[in-house]
Amino acid sequence: MLARVGFVARLPGFRRCERSLLSSLRCNATNSVPQTSEKPESKSVRNPRVSEGGRRKKGADLDSTSSREDIRAVRLKKVEELRAGGFEPYGYTWDRTHFAVELQKKYVDLPSATEANEEKDHVAVAGRIIARRVFGKLAFLTMRDDSGDIQLYCEKAKMMDEPFDLLKTSLDIGDFVGVKGTMKRTDKGELSVMVGEISILTKSLIPLPDKWHGLTDVEKRYRQRYVDMIMNPDVATVFRNRAKITSEIRRHMESLGYLEIETPVLQGEAGGADARPFVTHHNALAQDMYLRIATELHLKRMVVGGFERVFEIGRIFRNEGISTRHNPEFTSIELYQAYADYHDMMNLAEELVERCALAVNGSTSITYQETEISLQRPWKRATMHSLVQEVTGIDFASFGDDIEAAKDAAMGFFEGHLERHDTGTIMKSPSIGHLVNEIFEMVVEKTLIQPTFVMDHPVEISPLAKPHRSKPGLVERFELFVYGREMANAFSELTDPIEQRARFEAQVQTHNATMAAAAEYAKAKGDTALASAANDAYEVGMDEDFITALEYGMPPTAGMGIGIDRLVMLLTDSASIRDVIAFPVLKHQ
Amino acid sequence: MEGGGAAPVAMEGGEPMSKSALKKLEKAKKAAEEKRAKEEKKKAEAAAAPKKAKAAQHAEDDEDMDPTQYRSNRLRALGELKEKSRNPYPHKFQTSISIPEYVVKFGEIQDGEHLEGQDQSVAGRVMSKRASGGKLMFYDLHADGVKIQVIAQSNYSDLSEEEFSRMHASIKRGDIVGINGFPGKSKKGELSIFVKSIELLSYCLHMLPKTHARGGKDQAEKSLDKKLSEVTIASEDSKVPEHWHPGLARNLERYPLKDQETRYRQRYLDLMLNSDIRNVFKTRSQVIRYVRRFLDEREFIEVETPMMNMIAGGAAAKPFKTHHNDLNMDLFMRIAPELYLKELIVGGMDRVYEIGKQFRNEGIDLTHNPEFTTCEFYWAYADYQDLMKVTEEMLSGMVKEITGSYKILYHSNGLDQPPIEIDFTPPFKRIDMIKGLEEYSEGKIKLPADLELLDSPEVNKYLVETCEKFDVKCPPPQTTTRLLDKLVGHFVEEQCVNPTFITHHPQLMSPLAKWHRSIPGLTERFELFMNKHEVCNAYTELNDPVVQRERFADQVKDREKGDDEAMAIDEGFCTALEYGLPPTAGWGMGIDRLTMLLTDSQNIKEVLLFPAMKPHEDVIEPPVRAADDLAS
Repeated sequence: MLARVGFVARLPGFRRCERSLLSSLRCNATNSVPQTSEKPESKSVRNPRVSEGGRRKKGADLDSTSSREDIRAVRLKKVEELRAGGFEPYGYTWDRTHFAVELQKKYVDLPSATEANEEKDHVAVAGRIIARRVFGKLAFLTMRDDSGDIQLYCEKAKMMDEPFDLLKTSLDIGDFVGVKGTMKRTDKGELSVMVGEISILTKSLIPLPDKWHGLTDVEKRYRQRYVDMIMNPDVATVFRNRAKITSEIRRHMESLGYLEIETPVLQGEAGGADARPFVTHHNALAQDMYLRIATELHLKRMVVGGFERVFEIGRIFRNEGISTRHNPEFTSIELYQAYADYHDMMNLAEELVERCALAVNGSTSITYQETEISLQRPWKRATMHSLVQEVTGIDFASFGDDIEAAKDAAMGFFEGHLERHDTGTIMKSPSIGHLVNEIFEMVVEKTLIQPTFVMDHPVEISPLAKPHRSKPGLVERFELFVYGREMANAFSELTDPIEQRARFEAQVQTHNATMAAAAEYAKAKGDTALASAANDAYEVGMDEDFITALEYGMPPTAGMGIGIDRLVMLLTDSASIRDVIAFPVLKHQ
Repeated sequence: MEGGGAAPVAMEGGEPMSKSALKKLEKAKKAAEEKRAKEEKKKAEAAAAPKKAKAAQHAEDDEDMDPTQYRSNRLRALGELKEKSRNPYPHKFQTSISIPEYVVKFGEIQDGEHLEGQDQSVAGRVMSKRASGGKLMFYDLHADGVKIQVIAQSNYSDLSEEEFSRMHASIKRGDIVGINGFPGKSKKGELSIFVKSIELLSYCLHMLPKTHARGGKDQAEKSLDKKLSEVTIASEDSKVPEHWHPGLARNLERYPLKDQETRYRQRYLDLMLNSDIRNVFKTRSQVIRYVRRFLDEREFIEVETPMMNMIAGGAAAKPFKTHHNDLNMDLFMRIAPELYLKELIVGGMDRVYEIGKQFRNEGIDLTHNPEFTTCEFYWAYADYQDLMKVTEEMLSGMVKEITGSYKILYHSNGLDQPPIEIDFTPPFKRIDMIKGLEEYSEGKIKLPADLELLDSPEVNKYLVETCEKFDVKCPPPQTTTRLLDKLVGHFVEEQCVNPTFITHHPQLMSPLAKWHRSIPGLTERFELFMNKHEVCNAYTELNDPVVQRERFADQVKDREKGDDEAMAIDEGFCTALEYGLPPTAGWGMGIDRLTMLLTDSQNIKEVLLFPAMKPHEDVIEPPVRAADDLAS
């Protein structure tokens, strides 16, 4: 739907050739080229392919044998020398006519050993030098821009002398250059820009690493994401796809008449989920505030206010451990639609995920971590109870309120093959609803590889969902699982303020009992680690204002939340959440 | 109109609307309101008269009831339903058409025409209820900011007469109902739905404040509207817009719910009762959508960078601090995404942007909220000149698209003064900061010709004296940066009513901007001011890591002098620069402040759905006072 313009530099009013740095470079070049043949940097003729395979010529790799500090000093000296010669090594702007990939496409039919140097073949490109081979009067550079790579063919005879010498003495791998020239395909078939003019736009001070793939310090990839991105263009592709996915979601929601709104991150009460919140302090208000753990309660207030279809794509914060699936801040979409129920949400979930898959992969059949997954509609729909029964053979609905009998049956199923922790979880379950959910998480979740809507959860674990219209004890809720992971969570929303209050109260009670039990348990066992965990207990608050809002009347409404990060992981075949978040939270170095 | 904030606004025929004329209008309006209130009361009394049917009595009695009593009555009714195992909160009501669609589809039918057989299902909130005998009920049904009339006649209903009146007695103002019926117009021409069946979907347990202002406008109000609208769209002066539209002035005085605390703390009531509000937030959404589309069309990639960091960099402000338990690590909420976005440019993404929240641990006032929304974009190989062109293009295009004109109305001088016009016609005016300071102080401020000397103790001393001379307050620490900022605020920013670029800030004020390519001591930077407030800040990015380190070191010096808003050094960012940042232009804009202008909002709280408020101890009381005030 968005009109795609070739690229920005072509937009009217964007061209400004007169400020090209090169003019100054040419004008000032007379006595400015540093004579550096005796200086250490003259040795910096390196294997141009280091970044691609690590093969290198013998004795030609100063960068990898010198310390980083030495190289930095050498390059800083080049900066000084360039300035002394009248060249600014940190340029101001560059008027680009083409991206590398655009040239690759445009000249795809240019035969080998042929030049294209008519007026229309004059191009200007810019990017980072990622490989460099310099001979006496010839140099080959590989330049990478936003779109991809292209070779720069520098022949002394075709350039002014000064720029060519400058290139030899002052240009390093990692530097940004702006280049003007014509097109040529080399004898070996490599499409190249025949360089007429070249100028250094940014001098880099630190050499790019020789190898980045398979780096032992995986964390370094996340800590210095930009190096990861320079060395491995696929990394940026994930972020581009991430942008496509959110953009597709937005476009679809807007086409359905949903309005995107923003609700606060800083809140007096962290509601809408049961998770440990981050706490901060507002100085001027002299008030502790929480970072939101969900957008739910504020979005629902807007449905009360008459916005019948609203959504928010935004950051959520949970003060929990980090893992391949958890980052303390993550992005979700929550959406609410008046006069809809959870069946409508299932249809919408299918539609949204399908559209995103098509936008990114062009297909609803995807491969995730070597597993084939079909996102073809419709997806399997099954109740939580039936899925648990399928695996355990136990119908937990048959126990009524007899929690002890249910626990006995569960323990019987596991026949003692349980970790201590899991046994504890089962024995501590305060209700059959909690127990069913625990068993579901232990034995069913991981089996749900193909997209599956798990429906009709116990009311005890769903404080914001509406009671099921026909099944007592259950609610109208679903969670979407793909590859054993929860991707979405949705309900027919609870709209009854009286019941909502009772549910919140029960939630607070259960939460406090669980926290107290954990503390008690740690004390009895004398386990300091557990005790300190128990000390981290947090409170679940009651959002009175939200209940008041419900008292003004909320129409029948369905709502859904989708974890954007996990969706991006699935559609980009990324194993870790850190691969889809540009700057994930990391431990102290 | 530039700088003419205090001048009277020219009216049609060149006649200015004086203060006294406005007052007169106000007075007339007030009188009319009182008169209407009286009539309303009379009507209520009449309604309570014994000759009226029972159902009607119910409807009107409620209005006089004590609010606590009202709520407990409704709770009792709910309890009774639940006891009878009837679900008072149905799971689903299938609508066949939305109310706005209904209005479009059936708006043109003839007065008195009924489309029996073309049944529709609609749902919405009952915002008024009127009875005419026991067999005929009228409701106003609101949804999506639009209303239609509901006509319930016992002869169209399947219900017996008794059931019919019981059903309608149970429906109160504020309830959500679902209706099945056929479209038609009353003889008076009001678009309606004739009820075949009606279902209560959700209860409003509280009495809603009345919404008199929704009813017919009296003459004084109409003429005020007309005058205001003439100022905006001279060509459409015959058409008085019934609803507020972005770019027009708002009249908060006309809102049925006026109490600010209630409006901001219970935004849903504000949205239900004050019809403009919905449009204000739609405008906000439109602003963001426009920016997104504008950048997407130019192939910028939207990215997300962390909101929690080890260091809060990229701007000068007090951050919020929090703690990650599991990692046992203090984290700061971001004050700007700038440094991360530039790291992505280093990584090879040539055009990136982020629209998102920033957090500053500062006081709350008319233009500051602890969390606010910005857009920042970074564009490799461009510079600040490119950014000025793009800024003009984006903002003028946006204002034109959203408001229909380049010119908007804004109450710049308080609600009791006429609104001023702000003109977004490109190109925008440009004022060089230092030259502007000298010029607008009428030459009374003279800075050294060599601007690299701005950093000297002599200049600092001179600026301290200058501030004193012109009575420009600059609380300590009196760093040169802060003194200059205050003086510019006093002399230059005051000139910027229409969008105006203030350009070429001194280096010491701009630690992340690149030095000017030809004027030593200055940077390639601009800020865009509108209505004297900064809305955009942009520059050619400083990409020399050595100079960047020096600038950070200067900031640290200012910090040591006590300016705790000076920037902290970010080593990680400097390292990223050492890997090479291409020539890049970067740009930031405050979404909230721009939205304030387009929605004639003087308080940032008007454009935030849930603004930060002082903590309040008591549970929210239903705003019955507002109802009482209106009724008396």
